[in-house]
Amino acid sequence: MAVNGNGSGDGRKRLPVVDEGALAYDHPLYDTLLNVPGLSVATTSLDALLNWGLMNSLWIFPMATSCCGIELMAAAASRVDLDRMGTIVRATPRQAEVMVIAGTITVKMAPRVKTLWEQMPEPKWAIAMGSCAISGDFYRNLYAVVPGIDTVLPVDIYIPGCPPNPEALMQGLLRLKEKVALRRAGKLPPHDDRPGMLDVTRPSIARLLDPARDRALDQQQEDSALNASSFDRSDEPEDGEERAPDQLPDAIASTPPAEIEALLRDEFGVTELAPKDGAPVVAADKHVALARRLRGMGYQIFVYVVATHFPEKTGKVVAPERFEVAYALRTVGAGSKLVSWRLKLEPGQEAPSLVGVFAGADWQEREQWDLVGVRFAGHPDLRRLMMPDNWEGHPLRKDYPADKACPPWR
Amino acid sequence: MNQVITVTATRQSAVRGSVDPHLSIRHYDPDADLMLLHFGPQHPSTHGVFRMDLHLDGEIIVKATPYVGYLHRAVEKLCEKLSFVQQTPIVDKNDYVAPMTNEQALNMAFEKLLGVEVPRRARWMRTLFAELQRIASHLLALGTFCIDLGGALGGGSTAFIHTFRERELILDLFEEVTGARFHYNTHTIGGQRHDLPAGFAAKVNAALDIIEARIPEYEAMSLGNAIFQARTKGVGVLDGQLALELGITGPILRACGIDHDLRRDAPYSAYDELVPKVIVRQGGDTYARMRVRFDETAESIALCRKAIDGMPEGPINGYKPIRQPTMAKSAGGQVYVGIETPRGELGTFVIGGGDTPTSPYRLKIRPPSLHALSAIPYIMPGATVSDAVAILGSLDPIMGEVDR
Repeated sequence: MAVNGNGSGDGRKRLPVVDEGALAYDHPLYDTLLNVPGLSVATTSLDALLNWGLMNSLWIFPMATSCCGIELMAAAASRVDLDRMGTIVRATPRQAEVMVIAGTITVKMAPRVKTLWEQMPEPKWAIAMGSCAISGDFYRNLYAVVPGIDTVLPVDIYIPGCPPNPEALMQGLLRLKEKVALRRAGKLPPHDDRPGMLDVTRPSIARLLDPARDRALDQQQEDSALNASSFDRSDEPEDGEERAPDQLPDAIASTPPAEIEALLRDEFGVTELAPKDGAPVVAADKHVALARRLRGMGYQIFVYVVATHFPEKTGKVVAPERFEVAYALRTVGAGSKLVSWRLKLEPGQEAPSLVGVFAGADWQEREQWDLVGVRFAGHPDLRRLMMPDNWEGHPLRKDYPADKACPPWR
Repeated sequence: MNQVITVTATRQSAVRGSVDPHLSIRHYDPDADLMLLHFGPQHPSTHGVFRMDLHLDGEIIVKATPYVGYLHRAVEKLCEKLSFVQQTPIVDKNDYVAPMTNEQALNMAFEKLLGVEVPRRARWMRTLFAELQRIASHLLALGTFCIDLGGALGGGSTAFIHTFRERELILDLFEEVTGARFHYNTHTIGGQRHDLPAGFAAKVNAALDIIEARIPEYEAMSLGNAIFQARTKGVGVLDGQLALELGITGPILRACGIDHDLRRDAPYSAYDELVPKVIVRQGGDTYARMRVRFDETAESIALCRKAIDGMPEGPINGYKPIRQPTMAKSAGGQVYVGIETPRGELGTFVIGGGDTPTSPYRLKIRPPSLHALSAIPYIMPGATVSDAVAILGSLDPIMGEVDR
């Protein structure tokens, strides 16, 4: 049977309501009561009772992904103690009324947030805590981040800040209580512009209450932060004016420790030990042997693998497209020394994998394949590490735009 | 492949000794009746958004496959777009439990690339901030670890409530200096942005007095507790040699009996003058890892006292503070600086030059937590599901810096 779009398919008379969505989740008892003449007094009383219960036992589901999650924990801990408002942090969506989205939501995480939101029973509310959850903050235009959680689920309360203080979170919950109280009436709480409402983004309670606090210092810090002209700028160049060339430092080369200079030169055919543009360049076919040799010499800590993409034109330099992969190892204990080297690769050329020598190369090489697009020959499990498996392209390539479209958000 | 691994609860030690993280589950014993348990990415004990696929034989884990990237925020791409001076507030958000050390690692790399000197007072301030941050970070690690062991409504939250009370004292100190509880944006290229306020030394000492006096209290309620020890001793043993191979540093490496700490071994900032006593513990298990963090807290308190008492006078920034993008330009070159954060070696790799000399051509952050998590396939097999939570908590991962 086709369902009528306007919901009067079964012919039953429905009372007009302000918000159709708000009724959809209510208790079936309401329907009965609403359809019996004269019982509206009972429904009003029942509303008041249920709302009173709800607003005083808002259980939180912490969708804590990053920094704001720490402030959420701090809010639940000793100093602020959210529990006294009747909120308990419940780590399961099935026992919570309020989802607090505390932190950045990425395109990999967003489907999970949606799933968890759908697992929460009605009635439910969402709080976007912090600027990442509200708008994506400065990650907003980047390929990996959702520009605001309200593109995924309906948000009731926005708490600005990076991160908001625990007091600000508490203020947000109090505002939510007002909203819950007015739930059935379909109204929103009035805009509250009392001066005290704005103070929640100010420093925390303990600081403000500290009698020994130097108020003049507060003022001085505020002035210097708000009023840039309080800095002495006499020695700074004007906007657009360049520093004289002699003030630019020389290019920094990563020179190897003295004891392995001879090794690199004699056994691994390195001609230039301290090239201007970075670490010594080693031939790709000798590089695994070098790592093994260095490990035997005490360079036992695996430090990094970094791949870099150089397109045809880099600055004023025009050269064939290439990739560079830099590696580093470190000695253990007193006087720890670092040795680094580079491989230069053609597009499509694979770098020999170091997984057989250092187990730590596993994830590092996967990350560089994922983000930069360098393949590592002999890697046992070269899957993406950071991006979703079905992601297209390699974001840290120079020809990959930072704000490349990521459906459905852009 | 013919290889079949027979896995039963009684053979867990044999499994632990011969883990191949890349061996597909298809090659495990087909008669073992394994169950797949998805753990995360949303779970309060994952310390953020981390996911493990656990293959279970009854209560025993036979294979653990970690997945990261749920908080990949494209920080490295963003840093390539911004100028050097704009990046400090960005990296604050990486390791959001220890933002001070993030800023320090980034700005030290830029200083090396740009050839900028840091005045002595600024170096001492960086050391003071780093050690205060270490105390705050380890307190948080201990508190959340106890929650992991005991459940938020069980006995575990007692330690959490206590350690967060003391962590607030440190945040108050930082707020006094920078105006923010975290995400301070106080390190700049060439020094510091905010000087220490008047009377700061007394406040630091007062806060440290409170924390120091309460250390025996924490000891009694966590590491000295019989239940705590039963849950942690011999659980999640990590071999020292494997830890080195995986690139694991910091408290986890020192819990394996390996004496390595960049503060002493490759001194930076003021650590050449304030030499820390390196805490090393044996065993490599969950207990040893928490023990190292716990004892480091006491050592950091001593270092903070020395730093605040001996704080030299002088400028807090280079003789020409770099405030505008046009003032910091790189002619090229490749630089790596690693420092010891509460979680291990946090490194910043920068290649300068390129189209825009005012921003890095390539910036890569080497996060200690990513390396720590890569140990999971090796140390989880043989443990129970409840141990999995304890092991993960003892690695103290911060997903912001794992995924960046």
